[in-house]
Amino acid sequence: MANSGIELETNGGSKHWDSDSQPNASIPISTVALPPASNFHRAFQKIAHSVKIVIFTAKINVLLPFGPASIILHYLTNHHGVVFLCSLLGIIPLAERLGYATEQMAAYTGPTVGGLLNATFGNATEMIIAIYALKNGMIRVVQQSLLGSILSNMLLVLGCSFFAGGIVHYDKKEQIFNKGTAVVNSGLLLMAVMGLSFPAVLHFTHSEVRYGKSEVALSRFSSCIMLVAYGSYLFFQLSGRESSQYSRIDSQEGSDSDIQRQSQSQNSAEPEDEEEEPEIGLWESVAWLALLTLWVSILSEYLVNAIQGASESFKLPVAFISVILLPIVGNAAEHASAVMFAMKDKLDITLGVAIGSSTQISMFVIPFCVVVGWMMKKNMDLNFQLFETATLFITILVVAFMVQDGTANYLKGLMLVLCYLIVAASFFVHVDPSSSDD
Amino acid sequence: MMASTEEEKTGLQEEAITINGSPMAVRKMQTFEHIGSLAAVAQSYGPRSVKSRILKSIYIVLIKAKINVLLPFGPLAVILHYLTGKHGWVFFFSLIGITPMAERLGYATEQLACYTGSTVGGLLNATFGNATEMIISIYALKNGMIRVVQQSLLGSILSNMLLVLGCAFFAGGLTHPHKDQDFNKASAVVNSGLLLMAVMGLLFPAVLHFTHSEVHYGKSEVTLSRFSSCVMLLAYASYLFFQLKSHRSLYNPIDSEVDGEQDAKEDNEEEEEPEITQWEAIVWLAVLTIWISILSGYLVDAIQGASESVNMPIAFISVILLPIVGNAAEHASAIMFAMKDKLDITLGVAIGSSTQISMFVIPFCVVIGWMMGKQMDLNFQLFETATLFITVLVVAFMLQEGTANYFKGLMLILCYLIVAASFFVHVDPTSDDN
Repeated sequence: MANSGIELETNGGSKHWDSDSQPNASIPISTVALPPASNFHRAFQKIAHSVKIVIFTAKINVLLPFGPASIILHYLTNHHGVVFLCSLLGIIPLAERLGYATEQMAAYTGPTVGGLLNATFGNATEMIIAIYALKNGMIRVVQQSLLGSILSNMLLVLGCSFFAGGIVHYDKKEQIFNKGTAVVNSGLLLMAVMGLSFPAVLHFTHSEVRYGKSEVALSRFSSCIMLVAYGSYLFFQLSGRESSQYSRIDSQEGSDSDIQRQSQSQNSAEPEDEEEEPEIGLWESVAWLALLTLWVSILSEYLVNAIQGASESFKLPVAFISVILLPIVGNAAEHASAVMFAMKDKLDITLGVAIGSSTQISMFVIPFCVVVGWMMKKNMDLNFQLFETATLFITILVVAFMVQDGTANYLKGLMLVLCYLIVAASFFVHVDPSSSDD
Repeated sequence: MMASTEEEKTGLQEEAITINGSPMAVRKMQTFEHIGSLAAVAQSYGPRSVKSRILKSIYIVLIKAKINVLLPFGPLAVILHYLTGKHGWVFFFSLIGITPMAERLGYATEQLACYTGSTVGGLLNATFGNATEMIISIYALKNGMIRVVQQSLLGSILSNMLLVLGCAFFAGGLTHPHKDQDFNKASAVVNSGLLLMAVMGLLFPAVLHFTHSEVHYGKSEVTLSRFSSCVMLLAYASYLFFQLKSHRSLYNPIDSEVDGEQDAKEDNEEEEEPEITQWEAIVWLAVLTIWISILSGYLVDAIQGASESVNMPIAFISVILLPIVGNAAEHASAIMFAMKDKLDITLGVAIGSSTQISMFVIPFCVVIGWMMGKQMDLNFQLFETATLFITVLVVAFMLQEGTANYFKGLMLILCYLIVAASFFVHVDPTSDDN
């Protein structure tokens, strides 16, 4: 039969789909006439292949078993601390794979929708964790985890990247990045944080009209405005501006759409995938996106439920857990890719990831959580407490000034990391001035 | 002599026919006047031509500009004040009535500046540019409404930095959609640095008060404020000297064909002939100032009643509504220049006005309060002080790269909306003003 002849030539038999063959190099399935009985089999092959690519090829997925382990522990023991840690470790690879699936899908949809996808799903993990915490009424946890995510991006991720890049490129003394983009992005972030700060400032000057109600009303109004600003931000970036600010120094990054996508996707972890063929099909990525989001949601629920118990059993303040530990989960993937790009001397992408992610959290995730809280009838507001607001503002101001000159070296990175350690230590000995969160 | 009279009459008639302004006719007449012989000058003060000159002058200043459609609101406000007790209406009508007069005041100032040359012209612009805010503040001071003074001046700075700049960037960005607009980075940075220093100088009494660390509670801030104000006025004088005399080159815009005016609001006037004579300009300046003073009196008296009848906090009225009046003219001209891609002038207007308020008007009001025996000080209350400092810092940072687009403008406007909303739910921690 002609069919088996072809199959023999390429794979040595249709039943043994060679797992090392590139999907692109193989004969498209539709041109091979199959007996009906093996359709199901072929679907199974496809799924197995997909699972292999998504789950087994990435090294980070060694952490995957921690997820189910935490669920099992939740029901078997009452040890909240271990459940918390296990679910923390379990979410990390899921978040990373979520980013991967998003990029794969963006490869198919083109730069505009791809940028939107990256913008939305880039911080999906933080959003999911925050919404679960909101449902539980843990408003301070939400505020602190989102704030900690911004701090972690600006100090830890940036610091590690500068440090790693500086060490790797020690001979070059300094790495250069596009000053203009960095200044524009940090200016935007500064404005966003300013918009977020007013309810807190209002509260702490004890100058609101109706104590307790005014900040919530103001927060909701500000959040709607910030969401409008975010919408125009996306429109502005994705509308294909010719301005040179949004292009990269590094011009070897090929095609126009590539440059555009880099300038849009703040959370783009591996734009080099654009240069390669996408590894899984469009519908597969959609399916994986949905599946991973579902898994992240399930694990987040156990994570959030275990926070209080973990805080007691490890003797850590809830503030510390929210500000320092939770963001590590959401940011792990970006962290890894930012460091990797710094080592490859592509600091623009690093900065795009770090500052862009912070901007998205402050302009989208935080206002979105306030609006979601509004719909859930929780009193989520932007009143971040004086210590956190001051920390946030000071951090962004300092980092914004530091990226102004367009160079990076390992000392800057080290300073940022050490600043983050100090901030973390402050939260270790910090409790809310009133009672702790409900 | 007869010939010149006839020519002048002809000139007047010509002008009367082409009343909707071929400027050529006006120019002809002006040229004739200026070149003219003694006879022509003597003739121009004859009885018949005085009346027609007054009418013409009134036409040019009061009727030609479209904004003057708002003029009747002024007298209406005065009438309402005496007829009804409705403070809300009186307030809003006087607000609307002052707006065209403030704009005409700016117009008269520029016309005068055409005659006096750029140095004195700059000084004139600097002084009369914020005349409306000054007049309103002095009336409020007389009434002892110290918080209103502080908040309206602060709101004027906020409005300049956020609303005016934001609208200008937004409008300019929409008019020039596919590129970023450039402006002279150096002068923007210098100006915003100056503004930051001025604001810092103004903050110390407030910081002193709120760290509860003053020597004589209540008295120390006032003393410190008065001292700071004198220092700030000194700084302002040297700022003027710096701008107008020694470092003029720093303030030239990118567009190098437009020279001269540092606080230039409408540089284009320089390129055209002035439309009214020097003495007319002075007279109008005086007349408009008097009118504004009268209306401001009613405005300030109506603030308290308006706040109660419209259910708005006084803070909101002082910080958001009052500055709209004083800034309306600058607002319009800033937007117009942004759309013509002359962002340097826009920035000069916005940041320059803010700098003048912080370095001149506010210290001047403190000194006036000192002379009036009122306890006006620089203790702006923590919320306003924090807002001011954060705003100036953020805008200064944002201006650093020298480009503008509609998105930056939109962000600035949205920030202003958030600030306005904060003041809507804001009351002073202690009792209301005075």
